[in-house]
Amino acid sequence: MWIDPKTCIGCGKCVPYCPMDAILLHQKDKQTGQKPYAEIDQDECVECYTCLRAQVCPTESIREQQLQWPRIVRRSFSDPLYVHKGTGVPGRGTEEMKTNDVTGRFREGFIGIGLEFGRPGMGTRLSEPEKAIKKLLALGVELEPLNPLTQLIADKATGRLKFDIRSEKVLSAIVECIVPINKTPAVLAAIKELALEVKTVFSLDLICKVGSGKKIPLLEISEAAGLTLSSNGKVNLGLGRPLCQGN
Amino acid sequence: MTHTLHRAGQPESLKDDFVVFAMSAKMVNAEGSGEKMKRFIEIVERYRPINFGDMKTGNIYNITREEIYKDVQDTSIVHFVFADRKVVAKIIKDLEQARLGISVVISGLIDETDRICEQVGLQMHTVEYSGGIFGQIKHLPEQPILDIMTMCGHGMVAKRLVREMVKQVEAKKMTVAEAAMELAKPCQCGVFNTKRAEKLIEDMIGIRP
Repeated sequence: MWIDPKTCIGCGKCVPYCPMDAILLHQKDKQTGQKPYAEIDQDECVECYTCLRAQVCPTESIREQQLQWPRIVRRSFSDPLYVHKGTGVPGRGTEEMKTNDVTGRFREGFIGIGLEFGRPGMGTRLSEPEKAIKKLLALGVELEPLNPLTQLIADKATGRLKFDIRSEKVLSAIVECIVPINKTPAVLAAIKELALEVKTVFSLDLICKVGSGKKIPLLEISEAAGLTLSSNGKVNLGLGRPLCQGN
Repeated sequence: MTHTLHRAGQPESLKDDFVVFAMSAKMVNAEGSGEKMKRFIEIVERYRPINFGDMKTGNIYNITREEIYKDVQDTSIVHFVFADRKVVAKIIKDLEQARLGISVVISGLIDETDRICEQVGLQMHTVEYSGGIFGQIKHLPEQPILDIMTMCGHGMVAKRLVREMVKQVEAKKMTVAEAAMELAKPCQCGVFNTKRAEKLIEDMIGIRP
């Protein structure tokens, strides 16, 4: 995104809408006579389109720009309306547990783990989730192949991302994997180590299928790992069926 | 994207915060599911949701209900927000009877959702918890701001916008309801709970009765 300085009147209405605080407001310069105007810090802008969609600019000075590689990656991980070319769906991750009653992706005996870098509200350079990818691969963890971040890995052995995207900033990027229960303690320990190494924040997602007798193995595993789980979360009700017709 | 997970806040505040949504599995039962999704909308919207939206088209604070309904596709994810557990229980009962075959997910207090499931004769299939926030947490905004902005999981509600809306209410330039509605607009999916936002803003400026 960019703001046309010729038409911007520097009213500042767009400034609070930017989730990355990337809109700078320049005051009137008495010496040069430059009128006040807003400017988007291109290095901090994640191309989420929130400023444009807010429709608060009285002079319609907020403009789209043709995004080329690697900058287009910013939009694909930040604008929820943008459909990833690799996954064919909008958003930054996969269907994960939302359709587990239909896909059977998370089976008993396995835990789904997601690390959402940049969330909440800080954003991330892609070099940060790369640290998690490398750590998980070193532990022999298989990453979710349909995840858009997995598709940007250049070296599948080490987890190194494509070099030209590592410094791109995005609103958030998710590292997703499914781990057998017996391997989960080691993975959670590695994630806690990772917390000391990253320059941004990440939110941890933990998924499991509910077993017979309403057993949720995740509760015990998390407690042993010293994690405090949220009291709120998501529940798939099991109403989905593999085929819509006839159900 | 776990866009309805990680809603921050105390259980007392979160107990009035449910998101009900449905989606089809892209590679399994998506084909032809648009009509099922429309039926899902018809069933759920009767219960007067606080917010309602589809990521692909927008929410009711930006566009009309008709536009959302008309643009439903096989791959749409339609979300509704409610505050009352009794209403959510009725909705689940209706959805169970409708046998749409598409996946239905509830975001809310998990114990509460479990009780609702039990009440209507279902068992939770899969659960997802937030394991917390890690890393440079010292840079996060203060808790009430975080509680509001995390109601949009895609991160489209800026912390600065929350502060600006609070300022506008304090200056009596906006009502609390108007401020909450403005905050809901950037959250395309329609998962932002305006009623909860109103209460949180009132708490912040000390005007709760």
